[in-house]
Amino acid sequence: MKLTPLTAEEKNRAFAPTKKPEVIEKQRLAVRYHIEDFPVDDRPRRFLNAFAAILRHSNYRFALDHFVRISAKCSRCATSCQVYLATGDPEDIPCKRSELLLSVYRRHFTLGGSVRGRLFDRGHLTDAMIQKMADSFWNCTACRRCTMECPSGIDHALITHLGRYILSEIGIAPRALVISTREQLEGATGNTSAIPLPALVDTLEFLEEDMKEEKGIDILFPRDVENADWVFFPAVSDFLMEAETLMGVAAVFAATGDSWTIGTGYFDGINYGLFYSDRILERVVKKVDAETRRLKGKNVLIGECGHASRSAKYFLPTHCGGDKALPVVNIMEYTHQAWKEGRLKLKANTIKRRVTYHDPCNIARQRWITEQPRELLKAICVDFVEMTPNRDENICCGGGGGTVSIDEIRPYRTAVGGRAKAEQIRATGAKYVVAPCANCKKQLKELLEDQKIDCEVIGLHDLLYRAIEFDAPPTSAEEPQKEE
Amino acid sequence: MKILLEFARGPLFRLTFAVMVLGLARILILDIWGMIEAYRRAGDKNIPWKLTMIRTVEWLFPVKRVMHHRPLYSLTGILFHIGLLTVPLFLFAHVQLWRSGIGFGWFTLPRLWADILTIMTIVMGAGLFFGRLGHSKSRVISRKQDYLWPLLLIIPFVTGFICANLGVAPKFYHLVLLTHILSAELIFVLLPFTKIAHCVLMPLSQIVMTLAWKFPAKVDEDICVTLNKKGAPV
Repeated sequence: MKLTPLTAEEKNRAFAPTKKPEVIEKQRLAVRYHIEDFPVDDRPRRFLNAFAAILRHSNYRFALDHFVRISAKCSRCATSCQVYLATGDPEDIPCKRSELLLSVYRRHFTLGGSVRGRLFDRGHLTDAMIQKMADSFWNCTACRRCTMECPSGIDHALITHLGRYILSEIGIAPRALVISTREQLEGATGNTSAIPLPALVDTLEFLEEDMKEEKGIDILFPRDVENADWVFFPAVSDFLMEAETLMGVAAVFAATGDSWTIGTGYFDGINYGLFYSDRILERVVKKVDAETRRLKGKNVLIGECGHASRSAKYFLPTHCGGDKALPVVNIMEYTHQAWKEGRLKLKANTIKRRVTYHDPCNIARQRWITEQPRELLKAICVDFVEMTPNRDENICCGGGGGTVSIDEIRPYRTAVGGRAKAEQIRATGAKYVVAPCANCKKQLKELLEDQKIDCEVIGLHDLLYRAIEFDAPPTSAEEPQKEE
Repeated sequence: MKILLEFARGPLFRLTFAVMVLGLARILILDIWGMIEAYRRAGDKNIPWKLTMIRTVEWLFPVKRVMHHRPLYSLTGILFHIGLLTVPLFLFAHVQLWRSGIGFGWFTLPRLWADILTIMTIVMGAGLFFGRLGHSKSRVISRKQDYLWPLLLIIPFVTGFICANLGVAPKFYHLVLLTHILSAELIFVLLPFTKIAHCVLMPLSQIVMTLAWKFPAKVDEDICVTLNKKGAPV
């Protein structure tokens, strides 16, 4: 894939400093994202201590040993990385990025590397290497596309994930993520968007009224219902920014009649731990588990959000009971199943404009959910077109790996990270790009705006909301027609 | 020269071959042991075996993958590997040596096929070397061993082809044969300690990758204790 080269103006905007020189000097770190102040002395030693502690208590060591032995440096990963394709900077080649951490591992944590390093007095971890890692690991969107193209099977995204985790243990992590997580785990509101409970309740009641007006029947957001089949955790930002997605979810349940609920004790599916810290990841999934068990719910249902789905699906069993953990289902799986069983009726050809579908990396790369949304879209759309490549080989929106939450790097995300995705969307000529992920939606909206592409980003359930046929006839005069 | 040849063919071959087998066995066992330990510690033991196996097979026989990116370079790599695996193992002269040494042999390649595969391997090896040298992305990430390996690997093929096909003076023949054997033995010795270890580790890569994401349960507290961060705010 060849991308249009960055213009000088785009390059300047994307790589412009975001911080004042005095902040950089104080923190002794020149990265584009903001970080909270952290101890700056003796960073290499603290980095190695954190690395050692993580290796001791985790499963990373055997994987690093494997990667160090097998790396063939074939450079195939470069051809699939949307960041490298946009910048052409060798530092963005996934294999080179991984080598930053692998070289530290080899030098300080393997026998051969330690002996060679001591004999020739080289390869010690330095502040400059930490600076390079802090910069490079947050240029990556952790989309795992390069991993798919690596013949040796080196998981560069895992290495990026580990690198960020170690850095976070010495205080180097994007402030946007840290502050949100602090509010989620220790704040008064208990969620990343800091939505107070009364505001949430107000929002839900407002949406219920709205739906009553539009559809003519009662469509509810049940709260704190015990023994419900489904306890729902959307990306909490949906309550602020993606109301139509939530309305679509509520409408699906109104049609199927299944019991579901939103817990007022905890209602946030977002888990930034997946992006920078396994310890945070663990704490957040435990909150999801605790709330579901408090309500005696039978299943954890995650809304339209890739990373929230992946972190719950793959890490709730890890930290909350293994085989005995609560089942985790993504809302698209639920809706598709209900439609297949005939419990959800959809009106064909409701959506007249051209529609394309963006596969969120966190749910498609592992071939987890790829066909269900497509079948649903084909059932309601007149003109559905695919992007190429797609499904597990999809191209990242450019805001993956938590980078979308770092507002100060928006010019970088939309000029560099999302460049390939913008060209993909433009090529389809679609008027709607369906992105069933809160992070992808935010990134794509900014991307389409900055790249001046005439296309609307929308959730799957936003469109389904328009096409659901209810058994009870609407009481309002006519069916709402949002389509042109 | 004859003494040297006998030494290279006899004790040195046995020694280097043993180093290779034991070295590869060591890293294979370490890898598998690491996987078993990771699985034992994993909080979630549900492994998507089917997908992992599909991806392993896709990479062992990368027909589907080859045209995706850098097709020419990838195809060169595949053909090189085919030659590397088939010629040394199924060459009539090699199998005869095994037959005289261990008492049994196996399927051998017809002479014409062996010659074609040998030439193909030499050409592809050179192609990989120049492909790396001439490609800026590859150059940026390449180490010394990445350039040297294709060259080292084609030496036994070149020398073997000369011995088998070209009428050369006996003295020169023995020198070429000695080079053939010694270069192969150098490969044996280096194999377990360099990237060529992928010959035994590569089939495990997809499982390693899957298992690496299976974290141990409840590590938050352990790491906090080790790093003296218990009770510290987020």
